[in-house]
Amino acid sequence: MPGSRTRTRTRSTRTALTTALALAGLLLGTACTPGGATAESASGPVHLTFWSSLRGSQEVVDAFNRTHDDIHVDFEQVPSGQQGGYAKLSNAARAGNAPDVATIEYPQVPGFAIDGVARDLTPYMSKRLRAKLLPQALALTTFEGRTFSVPQDVEPMVFLYRRDLFAKYGIEVPRTWAEFEDAARAVKRKAKGKRIATFPTDGGHHLAGFAWQAGARWFDTRGGRWTVSMTDGPTRKVTAYWQRLIDEKLVFLNPVDTQAGTAQVGRSEVFGKLTGAWDAGGMMSSQPGQKGKWGVAPLPQWDPKHPRVGTHGGSTFAVTKDSAHPREAMEFIEWQVSSPAAWRARLSSGISSQYPAVPALLPVLRKAMDTRYFAGQDIYALFDREARHISRRWTWGPRMTATLKTVQDGLARAGDGEGTVLGAVEEGQRSTMPDLKSLGLDAREGSR
Amino acid sequence: MSSTDSTAPVPGRPPGPARPAAAGPQTAHPPGASGAVPADRPGARTRRWARRRRLGACAALMGPFFVLLVAVFLVPVCAAVWLSFFSDDQPGLGFGPERTVFAGLRNFEAALTDPTFLSGLGTAALYCVVYIPLMVLCALALALLLDSGAVRLRRTAQLSLFLPHAVPGIIAAIIWLYLYTPGLSPVIDLLHHADVRVDFLGVRMVLPSIVNIAMWSNLGYNVVIFYAALQAVPREVTEAAVVDGAGPVRTALSVKVPLVRGSAVMVTMFTLIWSLQLFTEPMLLSQATPVVGSRYTPNMYIYDAAFTRNNYGLAAAASVVLLVVTIALSYGLSRWSNRTADTSEGDSGER
Repeated sequence: MPGSRTRTRTRSTRTALTTALALAGLLLGTACTPGGATAESASGPVHLTFWSSLRGSQEVVDAFNRTHDDIHVDFEQVPSGQQGGYAKLSNAARAGNAPDVATIEYPQVPGFAIDGVARDLTPYMSKRLRAKLLPQALALTTFEGRTFSVPQDVEPMVFLYRRDLFAKYGIEVPRTWAEFEDAARAVKRKAKGKRIATFPTDGGHHLAGFAWQAGARWFDTRGGRWTVSMTDGPTRKVTAYWQRLIDEKLVFLNPVDTQAGTAQVGRSEVFGKLTGAWDAGGMMSSQPGQKGKWGVAPLPQWDPKHPRVGTHGGSTFAVTKDSAHPREAMEFIEWQVSSPAAWRARLSSGISSQYPAVPALLPVLRKAMDTRYFAGQDIYALFDREARHISRRWTWGPRMTATLKTVQDGLARAGDGEGTVLGAVEEGQRSTMPDLKSLGLDAREGSR
Repeated sequence: MSSTDSTAPVPGRPPGPARPAAAGPQTAHPPGASGAVPADRPGARTRRWARRRRLGACAALMGPFFVLLVAVFLVPVCAAVWLSFFSDDQPGLGFGPERTVFAGLRNFEAALTDPTFLSGLGTAALYCVVYIPLMVLCALALALLLDSGAVRLRRTAQLSLFLPHAVPGIIAAIIWLYLYTPGLSPVIDLLHHADVRVDFLGVRMVLPSIVNIAMWSNLGYNVVIFYAALQAVPREVTEAAVVDGAGPVRTALSVKVPLVRGSAVMVTMFTLIWSLQLFTEPMLLSQATPVVGSRYTPNMYIYDAAFTRNNYGLAAAASVVLLVVTIALSYGLSRWSNRTADTSEGDSGER
């Protein structure tokens, strides 16, 4: 078993190899590989494989293949990451047959980059594409000056709220976390059996997003080493806040990404939902009966003078180490994330409220959005403002799936009355450290 | 590291088991000297023939076992031990090239300082403490009941007890998951009507719920083992006890139970080994309840380390730790049972 895993290739040889491949493509054209990099070859187009769990990917691929003769993309729908998609990708990379292009969410980018699955895309990425991408999004996939994947969408956190309920009970939509707490008390007092929102016990990503907004830095790569501080000052502020709301029963405490969680929203038991921008579209498809009753507000702020948000959700595209055509793969990715045609194709498959990592595409998305669900509100204008407030302090860690899962295990226990929100984050850090150390990373715990 | 001098065989010693041969007529023969027996003696020749045939038979009969032992046990164990000392090292932030390096005890240190692994071991220990005594006592009690003749439909009872064991563990877990899930389960509905609210998948109840699944699956199997042992108890012994005035309960506890002690140790041992490898039931329940985390038991931790965290070295180290714990506990159990067996024999001798 160790034999199959010896990837002793050094960086210089890897670069040399890719350069050689690219050169071979340029010089030999049709001669060596079926369809060289640039040549219009008689032997047909370059074939790329593309794995994604994103809805509408088939439509995007079809549109690409219709308009491109030199590259043909073969699409394979895979399960979402947590449902086995990431394990499938890791195993394929281990076996040496990973697809050319894979879909990876932001938290998993560093892990796949460290494992050598995601290739360093810096040499293939055009200046033009770089300039189009929202800098905050690009920063999340760039480490040590090298970009390992290209952002597709980036999702600032927002507060989706029920216009009708807030109006009916005469409660103002909160703009700060202090107002949110007051509003939560008012909701509990005035509306029997209802709460302002749910603190999700399956919401490791939510909690991370809240901490991100408050200025936390769970993982820090400065100084060339991983400094892990999941219980830093800002995080403690956030966990203490939510613990208070939980203890006073001002919020529900249960999983949200479940049928029961959806039903809770359907029964109008919650006044709102703290989530990523994409979830506005999710709401439209999961609760069609509540059309016209919803609105989107910015995430409540700690300091409204210096607004900041974290993200929840969003995907990126990576080229794997196994790809024999990184240049063509990059061309496909660039088209996919930055061309209006690609986004139109994706939106043709159904409702979506993703915020594109290339903000220039906003008009395309705005045009496709039926805003009647939100009583005519221009939600993309709000998303656009919020996306610019995404804090740049945040970096995801090397084993984020596992880290967030342990946090969620702790939150689930807290949901059953054993343990606290802070305890869950502490557990997340304690269980992450041994993992990073055994991987040989230079990792240490930051100050509290 | 083993030094060669302590285990060095006597050079002239023949291969194969020397004991059975030495136990033959020539008991005075020193084992090392058997090679010096003159080959032309006719008795020696036939004996050697016989021994060779016996060895051949042994090899034919036991060969498959050893082949399998090596292929599916020793080789993987050695691979795991080997793997546990290595790591795909990625210095600094880890975005540079990977090298497979000798990592020494680093993976073991990581596993043993990981609170989730330790809590997994804790869960397994708690599970053993609850499950093993319960299983042994219930299986023994049921076997005694069957043996006493108190049960009318003995065959039916035996069959219905054993039948769940024929159900694969994963199916058993699905059946019970259905019975544990609020909104689906008729059991919970019934309890609800009686104003009893139980969350079988709650943080406190989930371990007993898993114990219950395991009991249901394995009780019949162990009852059969005990029942077979009880069948081997000589009838005169129990009759003598009855003649001496012992009632059925007294006969069962004072006469039969001590005589099936060996089976009790065996059942305990098997149950212990099985319990430490707990995986299927909690893995399935983890899909249904968040209080069963992805690293709930040591085996789940190993699975998670290998397939979620892509950390094969860590997974291998955790496997080795689990193996060592299992061997140590099994060895401790057999030592303890031997010692208590000796003292109880000594006691009866004095009486």
